[in-house]
Amino acid sequence: MSGKQNGPGAQGLRAAPEPEGDGLQRLRLPRALTVVRRLRCRSSIDGSQRRPLDHLGTPPGQSAAARRARGLLQPWDVALRGGRAYQRLRRAVLMVSVLTVVGTPFLAARFADRTWPAGLFVGATGAARLLDVELVDPLMSAGVWLARGARPGLLGAALPVLLLVVVLGRFFCGWLCPYLPLLAVSNAVRWALGKLGIPTLDLRLPGWLRFLVLGAVLGGTAALGIQLAALVYPPALLARSAYRLAFGLGLGGGAAVLAAVWLFDTTVSRAGFCRSLCPGGALFSLLGARSPVRVRREAGACTDCTVCDVVCNLGQRPMSDRLDAGCERCGRCVASCPTGALALSLEGRRR
Amino acid sequence: MNRRGVLALAAGALSGLLGRRPRAAASELRPPGALPPGDFERACIGCFRCAEVCPTRAIRFPGGVGLDAGHPFLALREAPCVLCMACTEACPTGALARIPAVPERVASEVRIGVPVLARKSCLPWSGQGVCRLCAYVCPVGSRAVELVGPQQAPLFHPEGCVGCGLCEEACPEEARAIRIVPGGARTGGRA
Repeated sequence: MSGKQNGPGAQGLRAAPEPEGDGLQRLRLPRALTVVRRLRCRSSIDGSQRRPLDHLGTPPGQSAAARRARGLLQPWDVALRGGRAYQRLRRAVLMVSVLTVVGTPFLAARFADRTWPAGLFVGATGAARLLDVELVDPLMSAGVWLARGARPGLLGAALPVLLLVVVLGRFFCGWLCPYLPLLAVSNAVRWALGKLGIPTLDLRLPGWLRFLVLGAVLGGTAALGIQLAALVYPPALLARSAYRLAFGLGLGGGAAVLAAVWLFDTTVSRAGFCRSLCPGGALFSLLGARSPVRVRREAGACTDCTVCDVVCNLGQRPMSDRLDAGCERCGRCVASCPTGALALSLEGRRR
Repeated sequence: MNRRGVLALAAGALSGLLGRRPRAAASELRPPGALPPGDFERACIGCFRCAEVCPTRAIRFPGGVGLDAGHPFLALREAPCVLCMACTEACPTGALARIPAVPERVASEVRIGVPVLARKSCLPWSGQGVCRLCAYVCPVGSRAVELVGPQQAPLFHPEGCVGCGLCEEACPEEARAIRIVPGGARTGGRA
């Protein structure tokens, strides 16, 4: 149990575990064992199959320094422990977003004379007007800005999401993106295919590829004079496909692109589009790179079980503190951690 | 932060600012208030809001995967534009310049397309009888269509026509002589 924590391998690379973390750790470990077995992680609790490089990512003494910093920054130190409430909130917000994207078109088609809340709501996630307040996806706003010059109205429409992204990081992808249910289905299909013995590739495209895609989309938008994001960005494609369906126009080309993205995620690379190709994700990563909301690991309580690394769709590695701007703040690693070693925390300054 | 990503973004933005495409010729009927061809495609993000609020469902989207897949067009053969200007009010990006639904403003600013008359099918022009339906439904009246001669045959003035397609819809089923085609000077401008 605690043999790994005090073993000779861990001792040399990491500061000695803090005494107060010990009681918590012992209490929770049996549950950790069951979770690890269920998820078939590669590492074992005794550390015999640990991947040695993972531990090099943890600087010695980091935990103590982080605790000191948290002690200094009391008002900011809001740790969301026990990520289940966080997950419930996230799923509720996501459900509202998905229902908006799929439901608004059908409501609008059903009540064509606009007897339903007329003027209350036009459009869906991506370009909505809610009670006369315009909300436009920052990626779309940036595209129009590049192709036609600065437009104060559009900047204002993108501002609410922009501010949220700057504070919360790439949260849009984990909290609002209507593609997420499709991604969940994709992951389920991957799992089912694996059960049936049908192999699926998990190509790890480099994460920076999405910045190239973003550059290509924005550059192409300006050069070609066509909003390319409207043709490749899954939330926009989903919204338009839903409208097409509701208005009896058939599924159209956007759904074909969407299907290609889904098939890529399902057969070639798990969440590969979100991780390394999505221009929106890239833009939110750039804007939210300095976000103070971060996944924080309590090294003393961590058993290196890799559960968090396994649940992450976007290839983040919370277990070895390797998280970058690609983290979508979905908090699934926090909720899945069997020892409660992970938490989402607000930090006044960067680590 | 990823340096390569930032560089790529900067390079893309720079290339975009340097290489502007010349204005394209009108190829589609755009909703009322649409910016000139080229500018419209730059500004439209394909959000579908114009089609959502269109009371006659005349605003459609193309079905393919081409570059134009995200841009609305007017299917005036199937449904007319009633010039309610709800689409210009709904547009979030200004691709459809806002035009108030005031008759004078609509008559002077909306230029969806121009009418083309096939005189061989038109009832008065082909000597099959008096019809006058197109002139009767025209929202701008004699500025766009005049009735001439003993048969009261329609004579269109493209420069005064808003291109709403009401005449195209009113034209009797056996004739279907009027068609609104892209063209004419749009005055949406850079709002």
